[in-house]
Amino acid sequence: MQSESYPIIKLFVGVACTVGLYSVLYRETKFYRFFEHMFLGLAAGWAMFALWGETLKSTWWDRMVGSVADEGNPAVPGYWAWALLLPIGVMAYFVVSKKHNWISRIPIGIILGLWSGQQVQVWFTRYGPQMQSSMKPLFPTTWSEFITPLQPEAGAVYPAQVIGNLIFLLTLLSAMSYFLFSFETKSKLFNGMTTWGRWLLMIGFGAIFGSTVMTRFTLMIDRMYFVFIEFFQQGLIPLIGGR
Amino acid sequence: MANEKTIWEKLQAIDRRVLYTLLMVIATVSLFFKVNVPTKPGQPTKDLYRLLVDDEALPEGSTVILQSDWTQSTRGESAGQMEALLRILMRRNIKFALLSVADPQAPLVARNVIRAINLERKAKNQREYQVWEDYVNLGYFPNAEGTSNAIAANFKTAVAGRKETPPGSATPLDVFQSPVLSKVSKVEDVPVYINVTGSKTSNILIERLGGRVPFAALVTGVMGPETLNYYQSGQVKGVAIGLNGVAEMESLMEKGLVETGKPEVKSFAGETNYGRGMAYYLALHTCLVLMIVAVVVGNVAMVAARKKK
Amino acid sequence: MEAGWRHAVIPWLAQAPAAPALNMWNAPAGTPEIWMKVGIAMLAGFGLLAALIAAPTRLRRPISGAFIFLAGLFWVLVFLFPKPIDSQTPHEQRPRGFVQDVSFWLADAIPVVSNFSNILTAFILGLGVFSLVRIHLMRVAKKQNDWPFSVVLLVSMVAMATFGYWDWKTRLDLGGAKVDEAWPLAAYGKDLLFDGMLQVMEAAMFSLIAFFILSAAYRAFRIRSVEATILLCAALIAMLNLMGAVVVTWDGMIESFGKDNAFVMNFTLSSVAGFIRDNLQTPGIRAIDFGIGLGALAMGLRLWLSLERVGGN
Repeated sequence: MQSESYPIIKLFVGVACTVGLYSVLYRETKFYRFFEHMFLGLAAGWAMFALWGETLKSTWWDRMVGSVADEGNPAVPGYWAWALLLPIGVMAYFVVSKKHNWISRIPIGIILGLWSGQQVQVWFTRYGPQMQSSMKPLFPTTWSEFITPLQPEAGAVYPAQVIGNLIFLLTLLSAMSYFLFSFETKSKLFNGMTTWGRWLLMIGFGAIFGSTVMTRFTLMIDRMYFVFIEFFQQGLIPLIGGR
Repeated sequence: MANEKTIWEKLQAIDRRVLYTLLMVIATVSLFFKVNVPTKPGQPTKDLYRLLVDDEALPEGSTVILQSDWTQSTRGESAGQMEALLRILMRRNIKFALLSVADPQAPLVARNVIRAINLERKAKNQREYQVWEDYVNLGYFPNAEGTSNAIAANFKTAVAGRKETPPGSATPLDVFQSPVLSKVSKVEDVPVYINVTGSKTSNILIERLGGRVPFAALVTGVMGPETLNYYQSGQVKGVAIGLNGVAEMESLMEKGLVETGKPEVKSFAGETNYGRGMAYYLALHTCLVLMIVAVVVGNVAMVAARKKK
Repeated sequence: MEAGWRHAVIPWLAQAPAAPALNMWNAPAGTPEIWMKVGIAMLAGFGLLAALIAAPTRLRRPISGAFIFLAGLFWVLVFLFPKPIDSQTPHEQRPRGFVQDVSFWLADAIPVVSNFSNILTAFILGLGVFSLVRIHLMRVAKKQNDWPFSVVLLVSMVAMATFGYWDWKTRLDLGGAKVDEAWPLAAYGKDLLFDGMLQVMEAAMFSLIAFFILSAAYRAFRIRSVEATILLCAALIAMLNLMGAVVVTWDGMIESFGKDNAFVMNFTLSSVAGFIRDNLQTPGIRAIDFGIGLGALAMGLRLWLSLERVGGN
């Protein structure tokens, strides 16, 4: 059974850690550095445990040695070939050797090879539907109304929609030309397109900025909620006899 | 005093600590006001709500795969999303298989949210969601790319060996013996694959699942614009973005969804619908106003100072 | 010959069946046979390592290139080779023939090969922890500047790793439910360090950016050029659109001018923001994404074919 006073102690420790890290907003002091190093240490310690407890034990060790039958679970044989991965993993540690550090590139190379082999497949599943959806109708199918009505006819393409689609295409092509033709060119068309591309990209970046601000502010609001609502209002005040 | 700064120059150089204090105070004070701020849900959130609540898209009692890839570092946005999602799933008796690929801490964090929503249901005399019967926790799978590939290729093999303890039993059993996964062997067997994420795992899933199963995402604001790209191309069927998305979801749960030319989607009026999203939404408004005011003040002061020169 | 191919090669790595039959690639758990096979495999692996150490310099590049190529070849084959009809088909009911066998083998091996990078990444991540410990131990031993902070780091790390492992072992031995009921010391230690401190500090670290972003926007977001002005206007509209109260009020005001007028309704904040999102923001991001995708594809091919400078020299 968990001790009754433990939740408030835990909250208090959490608030102290938050205040410690937030002190950097005033200035980088020794108080802040204490908490900063504690944070780094805890994160590294968790990584040390997680490497075995959450990764290697289940995905490597258990598969290599298998498991015996117990109530309701059949026996699973071990596959000895997994053992070969240990020497390959050890190769990474040769990075500290001046003479043989080239060996450390093998495990990294295998990971890169596995990544690169997937790129062809990934490219088509990721970008195929996007290319398809970028092919938008550029000619109206109806002139009954210029602006898209509030209840549009099913399947109809209105002139205003076409203008929107043209802007979509212009943005896509000019932004792509800004990226793909980043070398110097004397073509007025390309130069004009890349300038347009830069301007239109700014609109995208503006929207990304707005969305990012939302996330960052929300995370800060959440911390204020943790300190002032969860700790003070719901934890501390009832404890000292408040409402 | 030739060097004395004008008011416009001073307004261009407000001390950062003044801004920090203002932001902190404004956010904190706003949190003490319990206001249900009005919302106008966007189409991506409406589509997500329809996908989760409409019986044709997700039949009552079916099983979904729920990939929870967030930890406390994005609690502000992701926790509200997870809570709203679980409330909907539990009210519709949707079973779920929970897994995580982004962080070893993620399954534990997700379990805590399930526990909190269960407590909320218990307080209302509603049926608590039971592990094994209603959901199974498949745990953490390292390497998002590799795991997503494996899941897309063969779900049953990808999660083979994962066990869960049925209630009243001391021995963990294979998850595929549970009522949750007894009829699932590949991703195509579930009507929806849902990802609540604080990182880029939704993109990885889009790449790897390759349209095998309708995919829904609840992402942070940072990932929002990129995810909308996939939403527009139909690779994501519905998406809730950041805190705004949570507030919109909560509002839809309270009021339901009526759209021209589409069947009406029911509400959950009378239940606890407004949660963390609405608790933070006013504070988000005030903080954004502060941001806008700060930028406007800086620009006005710059223009005025230039004119004076 | 054909039967030999099926029985010897197909089960290799393809550990798909729920109750796999015993073959040369496996052995029953807990028996001396599996330990012996594992031991021999490790010896063979370390033998290979010894051979690599002794390898002449001119072979280094081809050796690392071969590893990369073979690792990538699997996924390229998965993409290019005909797909099996249904990878869920039980082994004994599968169609027979070389192409079918290979396609089933590839499909079955995906979850196994996917684990390779997980495991190797885990081994390599250990290197990061090793470096961190080495640097901070040296700082303490040499009493360099701010060495007490290194002590804080090392103590926190050891405490977290110890309690993390202890709690995990207790849960394995007793069962998670019993640990949650009894709350032994291991559970307290792990919960306080992980949930009470690490998670909270992680959230605090991430949230600090809010303050910096406000200060930076106030200082740098100035309308000094066309680009900056466009960026500012787009950001302003995006931020206004994130405020439900503003959207509802603005849209309500527009609706009062003509709720049934399609032209007027184009000026609601949600319509303006939606237009920007659909026709300017999405294609802009899509263009960036295409650029990144093409770069990744090109880089992938260069790495796979050892055209990039990764191999030994």
